[in-house]
Order: sequence, then structure tokens, then C-alpha cells
Amino acid sequence: MLRYILQRLVFSIPVFLGVVTIVFLVVRVIPGDPAVAALGDYASKEAVEALRQQMGLNEPLPLQYVHFLGNLVRGDLGKSMITASPIRHEIGHALPYTLELTVLAIIIGTILGIPIGVYTAIRRNQLADYIGRVLSLTGLSVPAFYLGILLILLLAIYLQWLPAVGGGGMDDLRENVSHVILPALTLGLVMMASVARLARSAMLNVLRQDYVRTARAKGLKERVVHLRHALRSALIPIVSVTGIWAVSLIGDSVTVEVVFARPGLGKMMVGAILQRDYTALQSIMVVYTGFVVAINLLIDLIYGWVDPRIRH
Amino acid sequence: MRTMLALGMALAVLCLLVAPHPADAAGILRIAQNTSDLRSMDPHFATTTQDRSLVDMIFNGLVRYKPGDGSVFEPDLATSLPTPRMEGGKQAWTFQLRKGVMCHPSPGVPSYELTSEDVVYSLKKSADKNRSAYAADYGGMTVEAPDAYTVKITLDKPVSPILFFANVANYSGGFIVCKKAAEKLGPDGMKTQPVGTGPFMFKSYSAQERVQLVANPAYFRGRPQLDGVDYRFMPDISSRELALRNGQLDVINGAPDKAWVDKMKGVSGVKVDVFGVGEVVTLNLNMTVAPLDKVEVRKAIAYGLDRDEFLALIGPGIAENVYSPVPAKFLAGGLTQAELAAKGLDYKTDLQKAKRLLAQAGYPNGFSMDLITSEQTGYRVLYESMQAQLAKVGIKVDLKLADHATMHSMIRKDANPLAIYIAWRPNADVYLTQFLHSDSIVVTGKKPNTNFSHYNKIDGLIEQARNETDQAKQVALWKEAQIKVLDDMVVYPIQYQNQVYARSTAVDYGHELISVLALYPGIDEKTRLTK
Repeated sequence: MLRYILQRLVFSIPVFLGVVTIVFLVVRVIPGDPAVAALGDYASKEAVEALRQQMGLNEPLPLQYVHFLGNLVRGDLGKSMITASPIRHEIGHALPYTLELTVLAIIIGTILGIPIGVYTAIRRNQLADYIGRVLSLTGLSVPAFYLGILLILLLAIYLQWLPAVGGGGMDDLRENVSHVILPALTLGLVMMASVARLARSAMLNVLRQDYVRTARAKGLKERVVHLRHALRSALIPIVSVTGIWAVSLIGDSVTVEVVFARPGLGKMMVGAILQRDYTALQSIMVVYTGFVVAINLLIDLIYGWVDPRIRH
Repeated sequence: MRTMLALGMALAVLCLLVAPHPADAAGILRIAQNTSDLRSMDPHFATTTQDRSLVDMIFNGLVRYKPGDGSVFEPDLATSLPTPRMEGGKQAWTFQLRKGVMCHPSPGVPSYELTSEDVVYSLKKSADKNRSAYAADYGGMTVEAPDAYTVKITLDKPVSPILFFANVANYSGGFIVCKKAAEKLGPDGMKTQPVGTGPFMFKSYSAQERVQLVANPAYFRGRPQLDGVDYRFMPDISSRELALRNGQLDVINGAPDKAWVDKMKGVSGVKVDVFGVGEVVTLNLNMTVAPLDKVEVRKAIAYGLDRDEFLALIGPGIAENVYSPVPAKFLAGGLTQAELAAKGLDYKTDLQKAKRLLAQAGYPNGFSMDLITSEQTGYRVLYESMQAQLAKVGIKVDLKLADHATMHSMIRKDANPLAIYIAWRPNADVYLTQFLHSDSIVVTGKKPNTNFSHYNKIDGLIEQARNETDQAKQVALWKEAQIKVLDDMVVYPIQYQNQVYARSTAVDYGHELISVLALYPGIDEKTRLTK
């Protein structure tokens, strides 16, 4: 198993390097200048030039790249080109907000999605199945940011149960939980729709298998047949989709963090793009890439654990 | 189904347990601006509306714009507004400083009394291009400190009070920083740790989220009525609106759109403020590119456009038509519609005349051009409206969409022969210099700025007006310059767009809102929460 983990880790290095290199180049190819973004349209060209020099933007591109990689290897994410704040500190502040959001969304998505999928598969072509299918199709069709606004209107404006926006302080549990529920519910409901559809089709496939028929023929209760025999086999594709969704949730979290004004990595990334803050953007992408690589690694490990043949 | 019901009930219970408590924020004004983060709280690098409004609460100038009314100067750190004296052909302004003005305490630098040494340091910093974005405005200025409470500023070339006070007021480079703190923090530290003398002191900055300010108990005008200000970065208008409705925010930057204003006026407990100063929208015509190099074509475009159509996009009251590049309503030197109509330069819409002018110029069937527009609604709708209006006279415009920073970058490389620009500048001299002086021509000017039309025929008038100390003569020169500009039709003034903010009815700004240069309502020691 250790060898397998090491192998996956080594394979992640070129992926990681490729992504950060692409990000490094793309942010510099797109038009727009961090110095202009920082100084605004009022500043004279002289002031802009002076700031470009201070920001190191006049250095040759290969030299900037070497500096970037060198700092990265040393674990130095550098300073924001705009505010000069240490990026490590800014990411350290933003990361917990994004992590709690995605983890909670995954939990909501799976604990709601799997039972709905299983239930609608068992009740195939009955009223519950129709309702479940319509709901999951709706969930897949509604963009996360729009669903977020609808939930704010319902739970924050009309019912006044929850705060509409913000992250809440990390040092105040009540504050923090109250601020994460709505965005997590938004992402979780979108994920739930996908998980429910997949769980339903996986269960339907399994329920047709001979061993399920055998279990029934043995006189086992339907509940035992469904949960102990059928669901276990159906879980393999569900785990796979959960992993893929966890990755795509990171993408969705960007829009949700903007809508809910949460100070997470997604909002930080959007700000960095708008301000052309190259160093911040590169560092955020490094963290995101690390996330995706880690989740893929985790999925591979779970596969290896669920089906030992994969490890070999 | 039972599981779902149980989960729903669990969510409801959880919501009630963690429901927000509005009383938590008593005495703290919570304001959200349309931005994802700050850029700099060093006042001499604060160039965006969002940064300007922050530093406005933390710093003072030698003089200040009267709160809520940007047309009036009054003393701030100085005890009075001085009158200039001529000394050996140079103009000298001597300020007496208030005594007992305290700099905010900061890490490693306890609070101390601000003296002329700080003012000299600050104005020299404003004039240094490596330490200020406004250095160009401070050329030819010498600053001295004859004693601890006196500051003498000498200008190589005399200027009128209106231009001079703008450079030492609480705006842009005129903000006074505290020398010891600035030296201790260094240029990078000042971006996120401002130390001034204003009604509010910096408490904390959380990237992408907020800046927290606390009341300055030693403020020289008395302790502010608010305990502090919680300044949030929220780029999404829906989020800001919903948070105001939900009671999480007290003041928000609104949408410059009549439909939004009307909607918010109907919300209980919310008041909407629409006030100046208005950012001016102009269409800049590049006179060096065919076919715009022919004045008939430029005039045809002007007659083909309809200000009222542009106005309908935003709504009367939120925006107003403007007829000269300098807005007459807010700044000395602007021309009214009546003044320009008398000279036949108000360019009232006349499609037949536009077509005739195009035919005279050799384009009876019109022509086509490619333009870039920003994805930002404020710009995009203006470009789209212009596209539709010009199509009526046979001018076909192909629009390409770019993100906002890209558009700004591209138009500075002459990408748009017709460039729409939205900007506020503090006086007529800055407007005319940046948009119409030959030094400011994009790409090729000596100091490239925002002269997109490549105009070079009023340099003398701009410079003459700048050095004219008689204000009436100065205004006459500015007007003369703009009449020439409009006669050559290199700038078509479209409208000015007012500031739109919504607030809880519990917020009392402490002053009437007429015009605020910092483009936000102005929060000071008199601002209070009534509930």
C-alpha cells in the first residue's frame, strides 16, 4: 500500500508543475497590468512605471519564473503584489473557510443524495421516484449561485433564520456555523442532485443482479437485501462520483463564496484575477492544484482499499 | 420521507440556534463597498473609490472639502484658509496648524502630536513618484516648516486657490500621514496599516473580507459618535442588497440604475441616497485615425447620438445629461446646455444632418469599425446603445467584449477610435490636462494618460488657465478651451452618473449629501446610528 501511495505521489509532481507553469504563463499573457490595477486610472505613466519596477515586472519572464519556482520549493508563497501582505498568511486565513464549506457540502450532498437515490430506486416508477427524479433534475439544472440567492431570500430575508452573507469569525463557533450553513446547503443541494441520480441508477443495476435475487430467495428481509447486499456494491460508483464532485465543488465554491461574500480561497482568487495580482493568483492555484491532486490521490486510495485488484 | 422530514427539522432547529443577533453590532457602522479587496490604505496610493473612502475616515488634510458638499473648502489640520503672497515671482501659502492634533497610536509608535514636520514629510512623499501615485500633481512645490506649527508652501508658478487647495485637501495626495509611523511601517506596511489623525483608527484588515476601524477618542473635533466602522469588501450587488435587507449591513454601495433605486425605495427600513459628484461619461474620438480624422465625420457621429437614449439606460435623476467635458453642475469651468446651445455646440440629435455630414466627408453609405467594450455593465450598455444609435446613420460598430482591466489596457494602446470613458476628476484643470493636453496623448504623449482623441490644440489655454490666479479669468479660459474642443468635436460629453447608496434608516450621516469627492456618503465624527 505504501508503495502504491508513493507511486501516486510521484505521479502528482509533473501534474503539479504543469499546472503552476501554465498559470504562471497565462496570467502574464492576458492583457492588464498589476501596476495599473493597483494605481487606478488616475495615476500617471511615470507612477505606473515606478510601481512596475518595484513589483519586479520589468524582469525577464524566465527570471521571474525561476524566482517563482525557487520560492515555491522553499515554501515561500511571496507577498501580494497589490497589498504586500504575505500570501501564506492570506491563504492561511482563507483556507479554513473554503475547507469547512466544501467538507460540509460534501457531507450534505452525500447524506441526502444516497438515501434519496436508494429510496427512489427501490420505489422505481412510483410517486416517490417521480418526485425524486424531478427534484434531482432540477438540482442539476439550477446554477449554484442562483440557488444560493434563492436560499438567502428564503432563510435569511423572509424567515430571518440565518445571516445572508459573510464568513463569521473562526474564533466564534456559533457565528461561524451560522454563516456556513447557507452556502454549504447551496453546494450540498447541487451535489445531492447528482449523487441521488447516480445512487438510483447504481442501485437499479445492482438490484437486477443474480445475487440479490438469491438473497431474496433465501428469505432475507427487503431492508437487509437493500442495505447489506445491494447498497454495498452500489457504493463503488458512488464513491467515484463523490470524488469527482468534491473536485468540482471546489470550482463551484468560487461563485458561492462571491455570492455569500465568504472570505475563502474562491473569493480571494476572483479578487486576484481582477487585480492582476500575479503572485497571489499563482499561490492560490498552487493550493487548488494541491487540493485536486490530494482528492484524486484519496479516491485512488479508496479504490485500492475497496477493490484490491486496482492496487496491482 | 421521514428521514428528509427529520433533516429539515434539524436544519430549522440549527438555524434558530445560530440565528444572527443584530444587537452584536451596536455602535459599529457596517458598510459594504463594491470591491473584492482593498488595494492600498496608504492614502497616496489610494486611487480607487473603495480605497479613497477608507482613507477618508482615517486621515486629514490641511484643508478639507466640507462634509457632504465638495464645492466648499474649510480648514482641517490648518486653523484657517490662507491667502497667498508673491515672493520673488513665486507664490507662497502659509498654514498655521491646529495644536493638540494627535497621530493614532501604532505598533512601536505611541500616539504623538502632529507638527509641521509631519506635514512636510507627507507632502514631500506625495511629490515622490516612488511613494505616491499623485506625484505629477506636486511638481514645482517647495514645502518648509518655519516652526512646529507653521507650514510654508511655495509654488514656482502661481495658481488660483481652487487649484491649490485641491492639492492640500483631504483627497488624493493631500492626505497627511504621520512621519514616525510611516517611517516605522515602511512603504509596504502603510498599505495595510494606515496611521493618520482622523476620526477613526485602523484596527484590523482581513484580506478579501473587511477592514475594521475604531473610534479615535482623541480626535480633535471630539470623539466620534460611532464606536467604529466595519468596512466589508463585497463585489456582488445582490449580496450587498440582501445583507442590507437582512440587517447585516447598515450602508451599501448600490447600483446606478433607476429600477434598482425604485425597488430599494420600496423596502421598509431602507433609505436610498443619490448624490454627486457625478462621474462624467464622455465619448473620445481619435482624430488621427481615418475616417475620424475628418471633422465632418466626428460631427456626424455627435449628431447621430442621442443623450436621452443613453440617459434612459440608467434613468433620469441617477444620471443627467452633460454638455461639456467638465460637468457644470459640480465644477467651475463647465458649460451649461444653454451656454453651448447659444453657440450651436450642444449637438442636439439630428440624423439627417449626420447623414449629410457623412456624405460631405465621402461616406454616404457610412463605414464600419471594431471597438472593445468592458464586460462591466456600466460600460457595456453604453457601448451597445452607441452601436444601435450609430447604425441609424449607417455607421456599423462591431463590439468585442473584454474584461474590465483588459479594456483599460487596450484603450491605452489606441485600440478604440471611439473610446467611452467614465471618470471623476477633482477640477477642470485635471480633466482638461488628462483628457485633452497633448502631453497626455495615449501611447505617444510625453506623459501618456487618457487623451484618447490625440487632441493637441488647447495646450496653451490649459496652461494659461492653470497659472491664472483670478478665478473669473481662469473659468473663462477653461470655457474657451472646451468650446474649441466641442467645435473640433473630439469629445462628445454624454452624461454624469451620480453615486447611489442605500442605508438603514437608523443611519444618520450627520451632514446633508450634495456632493462628495470620495464618491461615498462620507462617514465622520458626526455619523451615528439612531437605533
